[in-house]
Amino acid sequence: MRRLVAAGKLWIPLGAWLSFVLAPYGWMFITSIKPPTELYTKTVQYWPHHPAFEGYRLLMQTTPFLGYMRNSGVVALSTCAVALCAATAAAYCFSRIPFKGKGILLFGFLLTQLFPSVLLVLPLFLIMRSLGILNTPPALILAHSTFAVPFSTWLLTGFFNAIPRELDEAATIDGCTRLQAFRYVLLPLSAPGVAAAVTYIFIYSWNEFLYALTFTADLRARTLPVGLQTFMGEYIIRWDLLTAGGVITALPIVIFFMLVQRHLIAGLTAGAVKG
Amino acid sequence: MPAPRRFRICCLVVAALAVLFVPGGFTPLHAQTPTVVHYWLWLDDPTAPMFDSLVKEFNASHPGIKVEYQLVPLSEYHDKVVTALAAGSGPDAGRFKDWWLGEFVKLNALEPLTPLIGKWPGRAEIIENLWETGKIMSSGPVFMLPHQFITFYLYYRKDWFAAAGLKPPTTFDDFLVAAKKLTDPTKNQYGFGLRGGAGGQDQWLAFFSAAGGRLVDGQGKVILNNEQGVKANQWYIDLFRTLKVAPPSAPTDAYAQCLGAFQAGTTAMFAHHVGSSVMVTQKPGADSVGVVPIPAADPKKPATMVTMAGNVVFAGSKQKEAAFTFISWLSEANATDKWSSSREGQLPSVKSVSKLPRYTNNPFFKVSLDSANFAIAWPPLPGVGYVSAQGWQANMQRALVGQISSKDMLDEIARALQR
Amino acid sequence: MRSPGRFSAEAKGRHGRGGTWVLPLFLLSPALALLLGVVAYPICRAVWLSFHHFEILRPDLSQFVGLDHYRDLLTDPVLRIALANSGLWVAGVVCFQFLGGLIGALILNQRFPGRAAIRGLALIPWATPSVLVALMWTWMLDGNYGLVNDLLVKAKILSRFQPWLAQPWSALPGVILADVWQGVPFFAVMLLAALQAIPEDLFEAARIDGASPGRVLRHVTLPLLLPTILLTVMLRVIWTANYMDLIMIMTGGGPGYSSLTVPLYAYYTAYKRLDFGSGATIAIVQVLVLAAVMVFYLRQLRKNEVMVQ
Repeated sequence: MRRLVAAGKLWIPLGAWLSFVLAPYGWMFITSIKPPTELYTKTVQYWPHHPAFEGYRLLMQTTPFLGYMRNSGVVALSTCAVALCAATAAAYCFSRIPFKGKGILLFGFLLTQLFPSVLLVLPLFLIMRSLGILNTPPALILAHSTFAVPFSTWLLTGFFNAIPRELDEAATIDGCTRLQAFRYVLLPLSAPGVAAAVTYIFIYSWNEFLYALTFTADLRARTLPVGLQTFMGEYIIRWDLLTAGGVITALPIVIFFMLVQRHLIAGLTAGAVKG
Repeated sequence: MPAPRRFRICCLVVAALAVLFVPGGFTPLHAQTPTVVHYWLWLDDPTAPMFDSLVKEFNASHPGIKVEYQLVPLSEYHDKVVTALAAGSGPDAGRFKDWWLGEFVKLNALEPLTPLIGKWPGRAEIIENLWETGKIMSSGPVFMLPHQFITFYLYYRKDWFAAAGLKPPTTFDDFLVAAKKLTDPTKNQYGFGLRGGAGGQDQWLAFFSAAGGRLVDGQGKVILNNEQGVKANQWYIDLFRTLKVAPPSAPTDAYAQCLGAFQAGTTAMFAHHVGSSVMVTQKPGADSVGVVPIPAADPKKPATMVTMAGNVVFAGSKQKEAAFTFISWLSEANATDKWSSSREGQLPSVKSVSKLPRYTNNPFFKVSLDSANFAIAWPPLPGVGYVSAQGWQANMQRALVGQISSKDMLDEIARALQR
Repeated sequence: MRSPGRFSAEAKGRHGRGGTWVLPLFLLSPALALLLGVVAYPICRAVWLSFHHFEILRPDLSQFVGLDHYRDLLTDPVLRIALANSGLWVAGVVCFQFLGGLIGALILNQRFPGRAAIRGLALIPWATPSVLVALMWTWMLDGNYGLVNDLLVKAKILSRFQPWLAQPWSALPGVILADVWQGVPFFAVMLLAALQAIPEDLFEAARIDGASPGRVLRHVTLPLLLPTILLTVMLRVIWTANYMDLIMIMTGGGPGYSSLTVPLYAYYTAYKRLDFGSGATIAIVQVLVLAAVMVFYLRQLRKNEVMVQ
């Protein structure tokens, strides 16, 4: 009985929370397997009479969806690499090295987030063109990294600050170089923060729309969100392709996070080390 | 322990970067000899091979020119063209709406095509009065080559009309009788699918014109907010506000909602054009759907609206002749027919094509082409781009929810049109 | 990339004269290069635009107009509506996203079978492209055949379908709901990460002392989460204020101006009216408001010593 209560305490809130989080996605999936004639019905239809996976087949066979996905993957992974390196280095600096003007600089990082991107896109376009990287993945990697760095830096700075300075100082006294102390002490202890930052950067880049639209022209660099938008025509809205594409687009992120989230428990070991 | 894992992730990232650089996909694939024409367009259905095969056909038959096209979603098309032109790297030519003509011509962004049209044998084939849709003034140059156009008509549920003993509406009186009779909120059923959301200005203009309102007079002066205009607009607003023959969601209903409501059997009538004819024959089905011209307040003075999706050459292009060769080829009989008969086909601007049986025997195309004789377009004023993107919508909605009067709404739109 | 040797050399160097600048500069250089190289010019450009009348395709015709755009905005009734809507939008979205995320993080922090999979699935809303989030919610909130209406009517909460997005009072809340859904996993992930960084023994100590779960949450968990909470909330406020994708697709700011927010107004003014000067000015008004909020917020942070120094 007590066991049952404990299980209920866990699963009832979990179930409620998950159903809010998953229901619209579930509805998108149901929509994606509705044949066109069952899309609009006078009473809401919860499950199609004739479920069809035609949308998925058409998506793969008649559209460059996989090409968009490849571009998205390349851009998101590269952005993760670039932005994470830049943010980790900056966060280490903000957290561990005293220097003048730190507060102002941290504030300055955030200033870049204050402007709506629609107003920055035109001058950015000029920069990308003068670099000669329009319609190539590096244009998006550059833009996405830039806008992902400020938050990642702040986030990691917070996590680094939470780790007692004595720990890496002790390591330095034991003969570690700064880099070694960073790699073997600071970084493992802040693994949850790194995992959170990676998740943020990856998703931001994966879903970013405006820059992806403006800086790309075709399959050479076009990413998923822009590709999906082309399924909304002037008088034809391809619900089948849109919803099927939406269902698939979220999957790589889910898988990515299933792998990354293991690092979210590294903090537990951190506690053990400290104790 | 986490360190090896970190390296595994690093390796993955490096591998991904390697994939990125290996195919060498970054170098633009320009062919050396032929003149490259960059053409932008939006398409209704990106999976249809129609346009891609047209481009292949053109490139094969014109060895000196190579067309490279870019597909841009319509909702972002205008903005992306503005950004690219402002940065000096716009396309040579592009698909274009008459809505944007006024503002782009004012900015000197479009090339006057009249000299090039003079040398083009296909010009005699274009339906005569359609040239007006590409001009700013009747006596001025042509900036947009007519290509695909639509005129608004009215779909009605043939089966419901028959069951209720109604005749297809040709006058406003017929229309109102039918709309009231077929409205039953308890069954979630409404007479008319009024579109107050995005893009609704075209449907509105069709009814506004049919009610006797005019946007501009013969001299191009904005007169939409005169007495007649206010009355015509009030009639339209009342469909929602006082007669309540439109669904409660009408103020923000856009195309998808209006089409959906008609397909689901929520609305009995719905004003649109051939762009949706394939969809409504799928559902509610060819036997259930009838089509008539937009009813008129005065049956002797019918009116509807026409809007043109043509092609332009941008003033900044260095390949104007080659660009014109491509867009004029698109407006010739062969390409026009292929486009118009595809799933995203609209009305052909070419005389011989419009007389082909496949169009004259199709009731939707027939009603549309007949309506072209009395159709009215948005005037090519610089403010039309803004009005069609937001100005109309915001003010129509305020009028529909009762925040402003018919007169206030038209005053605001008149001001926006004249900017 | 970086050799340890070089690193340690610099580490020693910091004791030398003038060396204090070398290491920070070296570490900050990638981030600064990105920020200065990529966004500095666009930001200056936006500020410049706000003082000019600018014809987008005819830069030769642009002229300096001083504070004219700002003065015009002072009397602009639409800006006032947009500011009020933005306030409601940001407050509603961030509040509920945070609550949903906190609850999610506390739930997902427990041990249970299939946790990895469920944690992955929990990310779905954040992982769904905005265009689809907007389309699905528009559809679910539809007044004629929407899922939400159907469920509420079946549950006897509503007597008849409501056109949620077509009524002035419910349009903005409808879009807020969609954005809350999309943003909950962000807070869940960030707070989950922060929870993991709290040493387990602290909880144990509290439990041994006989504290109830509610008290543990209030007196142990939340204070330790505070730095992350404050940072994520602040950033979320900024992002939400500038986020317009959902509003643009779901209502276009309507009906009328009832869901028009400041960035959307700036966008319409710049790209649809082709008045980039006024558009930039509208955006900068919001930047100033946000910057003021941020300065106040950071002051509080420092006072409470929860953040850096």
